[in-house]
Amino acid sequence: MRPLLASTGVLGLFAALYLVPVVAPGQLYALHILTLALCYAVPAIGLNLLFGYTGLVSLGHMGFAGVGAYATALLMKNGIVGFAPALLAGAVAAGAVGLLVGVPCLRLRSHFFIIVTLAVGVILYTLFNNLDALTGGAEGLPGIPRPQPLDLGFIVFDFRRPQGFYWLALTVFAATFVVQWMIVRSDFGRSLAAIRQDETIAAARGVDVFAHKLAVFTISAAIAGIGGGLKVTFLRAAAPLSFELLESINLVMIVILGGAGYLLGPLVGAVLFIAIPEVLRIANELRLVIFGVVLVLLALYAPRGVCGLLAALRRRLGSKGFAHARHS
Amino acid sequence: MTVFLRRTLLGFVVAAFVPAEMAAAADGTITFGIVTAQTGPLAAPGRFQLNGFQLAADAINKAGGAKVAGKTYNVALKVYDTRCNAAEGASVMQRLATIDKTPVVLGELCSPVAAAESPIAADFQMPLIITVATGPNITDQGNPYTFRVNANNTQLTKSLADYVAARKLSPLAFIAWNNDAGRGGLNGMRKELPKSVEIGYVGYFNVGEVDFSSHIANIRSSGAKAVMLLMDEEPGALAIKQIRDAGLTVDLVGTLAMGSNRFLDRLNVKYLAGMAQYNAFPPNLPTPRIKAFNDAYRARFGEESHGFAAQSYDGLHVAVEAMAKAGTISDGKAIRDALGGLSTDGVIGPIKFDAKGQASPPVYITQWCDDGKRRVVYPEQYVADCGGG
Amino acid sequence: MLTALLEQIVNGTMIGCIYVLVALGMVLIFGVMQVLNFAHGVLFMAGGYVCHFAFFKLTGSYPAAIALSMLALAALGLVLERAVFRPLRDNIQMQIVASLGLILVIQNGVVALWGPNALQMRVPTAETIVRLGSLSFTAQHFVIIGTVAVTIVILQLFLVRSRLGTAIRATSQNADAARVVGIDTNRIFLITFTIGSALAALGGALLGPLFLIFPQMGDLPLLKALTAIVLGGMGSVPGAVIGGLAIGIVESVSTLFIPTDFRDTVVFGLLILVLLFRPWGLFGVRVRGEA
Repeated sequence: MRPLLASTGVLGLFAALYLVPVVAPGQLYALHILTLALCYAVPAIGLNLLFGYTGLVSLGHMGFAGVGAYATALLMKNGIVGFAPALLAGAVAAGAVGLLVGVPCLRLRSHFFIIVTLAVGVILYTLFNNLDALTGGAEGLPGIPRPQPLDLGFIVFDFRRPQGFYWLALTVFAATFVVQWMIVRSDFGRSLAAIRQDETIAAARGVDVFAHKLAVFTISAAIAGIGGGLKVTFLRAAAPLSFELLESINLVMIVILGGAGYLLGPLVGAVLFIAIPEVLRIANELRLVIFGVVLVLLALYAPRGVCGLLAALRRRLGSKGFAHARHS
Repeated sequence: MTVFLRRTLLGFVVAAFVPAEMAAAADGTITFGIVTAQTGPLAAPGRFQLNGFQLAADAINKAGGAKVAGKTYNVALKVYDTRCNAAEGASVMQRLATIDKTPVVLGELCSPVAAAESPIAADFQMPLIITVATGPNITDQGNPYTFRVNANNTQLTKSLADYVAARKLSPLAFIAWNNDAGRGGLNGMRKELPKSVEIGYVGYFNVGEVDFSSHIANIRSSGAKAVMLLMDEEPGALAIKQIRDAGLTVDLVGTLAMGSNRFLDRLNVKYLAGMAQYNAFPPNLPTPRIKAFNDAYRARFGEESHGFAAQSYDGLHVAVEAMAKAGTISDGKAIRDALGGLSTDGVIGPIKFDAKGQASPPVYITQWCDDGKRRVVYPEQYVADCGGG
Repeated sequence: MLTALLEQIVNGTMIGCIYVLVALGMVLIFGVMQVLNFAHGVLFMAGGYVCHFAFFKLTGSYPAAIALSMLALAALGLVLERAVFRPLRDNIQMQIVASLGLILVIQNGVVALWGPNALQMRVPTAETIVRLGSLSFTAQHFVIIGTVAVTIVILQLFLVRSRLGTAIRATSQNADAARVVGIDTNRIFLITFTIGSALAALGGALLGPLFLIFPQMGDLPLLKALTAIVLGGMGSVPGAVIGGLAIGIVESVSTLFIPTDFRDTVVFGLLILVLLFRPWGLFGVRVRGEA
């Protein structure tokens, strides 16, 4: 799958995103929703690498986000380290769990693998919920501090304020996006695409399928861990229910909705998935019914996700009357 | 079919704005933010929480509205569904603070969601008054803008532990929800129970599970004298039915929801006789305040009142009182200070917040009699015989 | 100890039969259409609600209410297959999105119509207590076991003895080849999905009176049924039966040995363990080139 927008387009998008708090300073609710979407977009990038580019469906991915989240939360709450090292520690912890899970489970065929990832997610959730002494248990872990303000001399970023944290989240997302982009562009990424198309042929051409799968699984788990750490720092509270099966399923939806295998898919999917139900709050009781209908319609009419729809539109607009024989 | 149309419309009305009855000369409307679970696994208890707020808004409006600083205001509610999801709780608080600009937010069912909501309450100086969630850490954090009207797990378990110890219900088995409510209750009991009460079998189950046969078999073989059920009405009805059908004659101790006539309708007197439960207020206590609340609830919702509704009813009244005391409907800090110093009487009893914003309402223990009526067995000063509970 | 173990095995078998009942419709749909129907749980739940409605508003007869709910859900399944799943036949990703959208619509639609509180339905078979030693069950438990057995037999006879059933089997083995020999696979998928939905409704209608009828009543059974199907080897009816029973028994027996809040961990851990040693499930088909 090729990147949806040219590099300049993407840079323009990020520039616009950075300018949002400057351009619309009073829109705190919208900023909150955007920040929350970014917190989901980061693990979605991890899942996109796994699912969109390599073709492996994981129904337990928020479990890895939870590992990162609790690691980050516990380190920050006890004042052991600052935000950046805590986040990285979360990524390492999540990646380690991913590696442990991947070694035995990646041998399994598609549907079995899906259910096993579901099982892993449930097991991780159970651990977050039951290990009261460590994670605060079902009541959650409140009082997670925001990162210390960043004083650059000419400007101070206060992460306790919505604008400050938004920029932080956006930067973390941007960094993850760059990682995704680098992977996709690399030989490693091309091998992943080959594996998604047909494992046997990829193997026949010399790709160590298992090693590649394990590597991408570990990396995607680590990225999910970063997303988890970001989310709990944003909410200032960690709760096991934030990382349960339903959340993992939502993450898969986000990737698919945005467009699996598109670089910007995770962002688009996360924004849509978080923003639409919030906008629909005006319909209160029927909010989720309407959202369900929207999802079904999107499934029927945007078969390659929103990014896919946009790409198709772009192709049509750019065709200038020529018949383009593009296969999706 | 018309029943369903009626039900659907009722559903809309119940869940949407309270149609504020226009008082004769209203100087405006105060809109309170309400956060609760309207969908998802905990929507059933959430309904009772919302009922209480709506009843309170009705009562205040019918009495002429809220009187603050010489002006009279209608009370309206802006209700949002948080579905027991921390992210939604935070989003909703943000929306209430910056878009709906409500001065005070009330409600919440799930403790971890309240934990995500209270920092935002402090950010915007918008007091959050919890009326159902019981996790102690919500108020223990010391957030100046978070208050709780209902008893927390520590207070509830203290009363339950006293009751269990006094009745010598040892060994005591548990069947508990594997969530904040169930686990919190169990952890609390572990701390509060004296050594004389032995904790026996502990059976956790997930929200949505309906079959307790494996737990019941274990309880029987463990020889427990009593079983404490830490769950809400619906699994409670199933658990008790299955326990009694299995022929177990153990004493039963349950939660608030298991003390209402609704619950009696789900089961029958045979199954429930002798069962004790903690309660937010005994519905038949002869105080005028309780009677008025019960009558209004029955008139509006067609059934006996529910403890969660009583807690929420009091919560809204407390918010209005604080506003009146502070003389402002928009200055969050002043309202917060007024709440901090408030001392009032609600349906659930005396309400006064401590330094951390936690009130200490009495925790009643009611018990079912053989004739389907209730008696109050605890605390001492409220003890009443069958029919008085 | 031994009695406790035996008791739990019996308990587990009973609950396992319930999981099998839910799994039957799913395994049929998966076997023929290769579709993991996540919406099966809400169809099961809707079957319970329709049965309740039919019982209290239309006919006071429980069997008639069951039949009506099966018909209603069959009709719904027909509509859903035609309108939602057929257009998405080749797009598994969007099938998942659509299924989840349907779950939201149906689950929250039910809350909007009936409210969030659980409904109760008292029928004689669910109120009659049957004792097995010190354990007590209801007549309804045995009705469920009987229904599972009868359904499996009927399904088997149908699939093997009838023309339509043979066409369904042909399609499940190789849809392209079936088309080549003139089978209208679209019609086959439609019929399969309809039957699967009716089976889901049957499950909901049988379980409703035994427990309660509430919007989330299909969520956990869906998960257990999915696990049972995978454990059993995907697409295999005997596999689903063994898988369902195994899960039920493990759940019940594990309460004797491990803290009960880790029950799910044990069940899922077992699943992972089984798949590590038999990656194609207990009764599954080993694919060429697999370890």
